[in-house]
Amino acid sequence: MADYLASATPMMSDETFWLLRDFIYEHSGIYFADNKKSQLENRLGLRLRANNLPDFDKYYYMLKYDPQAGRELRALFDSVTTNETSFFRSPPQIQAFQEKVLPEIMQRHQEKAELCLRLWSAGCSTGDEPYTMGIVIKEVLGERLKDWDIKIFASDISEKALKSARTAMYNEYTLRSVPPEIKRKYFTQNGTQYTVNEEIRMLVDLQYLNFNDAKRVKLMKGFDVIFCRNVLIYFDDEAKKRFVAQLYDNLNPGGYLFIGHSESLHNISRAFKLVHFPGALGYKKE
Amino acid sequence: MERSVFETIRNIQDIPTLPSVAMEMMTLAKAPDVSIKDLSECIYKDPPLAAKVLRMANSTFYRRGPQEIDTLHRAILMMGLNEVINIITSVSVLTLLSPTDEKGESLREAFRSHCVATGLIARRIDKKIGMRTQGRDFVGGLLHDIGKIILDEYFHDRFVEACDLSIRKNCTVYEAEMEVLGTTHMEVGDFLARKWGLPPYLADVNLHHHHPGKAQFKDITSLISVADLLAKARDLSCGGHVPAFVLKDQEAWGNLKKLGYPMDSLDVERITFEIEDIGDEVKAYISTVADEPAGEAAHG
Repeated sequence: MADYLASATPMMSDETFWLLRDFIYEHSGIYFADNKKSQLENRLGLRLRANNLPDFDKYYYMLKYDPQAGRELRALFDSVTTNETSFFRSPPQIQAFQEKVLPEIMQRHQEKAELCLRLWSAGCSTGDEPYTMGIVIKEVLGERLKDWDIKIFASDISEKALKSARTAMYNEYTLRSVPPEIKRKYFTQNGTQYTVNEEIRMLVDLQYLNFNDAKRVKLMKGFDVIFCRNVLIYFDDEAKKRFVAQLYDNLNPGGYLFIGHSESLHNISRAFKLVHFPGALGYKKE
Repeated sequence: MERSVFETIRNIQDIPTLPSVAMEMMTLAKAPDVSIKDLSECIYKDPPLAAKVLRMANSTFYRRGPQEIDTLHRAILMMGLNEVINIITSVSVLTLLSPTDEKGESLREAFRSHCVATGLIARRIDKKIGMRTQGRDFVGGLLHDIGKIILDEYFHDRFVEACDLSIRKNCTVYEAEMEVLGTTHMEVGDFLARKWGLPPYLADVNLHHHHPGKAQFKDITSLISVADLLAKARDLSCGGHVPAFVLKDQEAWGNLKKLGYPMDSLDVERITFEIEDIGDEVKAYISTVADEPAGEAAHG
């Protein structure tokens, strides 16, 4: 069976990979580095079969020239974003948040004697991201946490995902990137399930929010950090520009936006300063 | 801190040097009436080097056509003189950078990767902005930190202490070097580049890559400065604190813009993603250069 499938999926030549990579980047802002070729091959292999096409060249031509390609584009984006979330996803971003961004923002608040932090996990799915943010904040502040007024807003459009996030229960696989000592400190194990401890859960405020609801999104004000990872891909260009401009307004001066690890705002917004952290990019509002 | 470290370096008699063939090639290349025959004969005087040049010429980095490049004459014809000099310089420097003992191995390894990464990144950016440095991008990147080799070779413990200090204090490595050693890798690198008789732009790159506004060769020094930062952002650093930075606010970026390069049209995110797997390319490059050839180069 596996052999049959493997032989049924055609190979992607380097040239076709480059064409598809550029096409996807241009249309979604998501970049597939050279070492992600086999990943793209696997994901698009499914789209090839769904469209009954013999090879990746034909698939590329369909995307580029077929007037009906708009619908396929949606399916393509769905297949290239894993739709998967996990604790401490994209570690260099989390490290930048922990080691560079939080200390910088906290220092600014301390200087103004306002011990208050507002963060937003925009598109929080099953809660892995906002709870990760909570754990990182606790790690940075330690005992000083109680002196601070901290709120992590976590929003999603899926009630199902939010319901799961409220239980704060996770399996071993979702916690695969979590260092053992963090697991011991912030989770309670029950068989194969791990529940996030109350001290972290109380920092997170889970809410339903549709990003198309411009009025409500506008009300989300005064954030120090926004994580909005792998969400923009679901918008078309115009909507992306509007939404990112809104996120800019939602941030405090000096605040940071993190988008997906290989996502780009290059053609979307020039308002932010692009900051290079070791292994990760962040967008700063000045 | 006294100036004794720099003085000591100035007085070290057996300071490492580039192989004589590399130096000779650089001089020959400047001669107006030099022939390909003169050049290839010069390289063949160092057979292991000649073999490495041919290996590089046939590696994925350089090989353009299906036909094997089997003589240096052909290599120079196919790749051009500048590329051949690049290869000779990189082979020579990577040999110099090899760790001499175990204590410095991991630092040297990181250091070597950082230098190659800076060269490869500089070359990519050069292609995008059209500086047309004729290979100075790669060599400049490769050689921008030669001062660190010497500091590490002769003052290993204090150099490591400087790297650690920069992490503890969140300061630049050269500030920490100044505190611990009383000199910087830029100053030492500049001295070395002159002592080795390297082309003047390389002394400039060494001395000014952290403040390229002061450079005489502003374009290449700024290019290397940008590549150096990007290499560090990709975790290909060489000890010490890795800063967060805004590329567009860098002195180097401003210089390049003032010099008329199309910096505003560059997609910085994309460049950053493109070099995400530069580590693989660096490894491949180093192993192509470092591996011992199966036999001596054929003379032809």
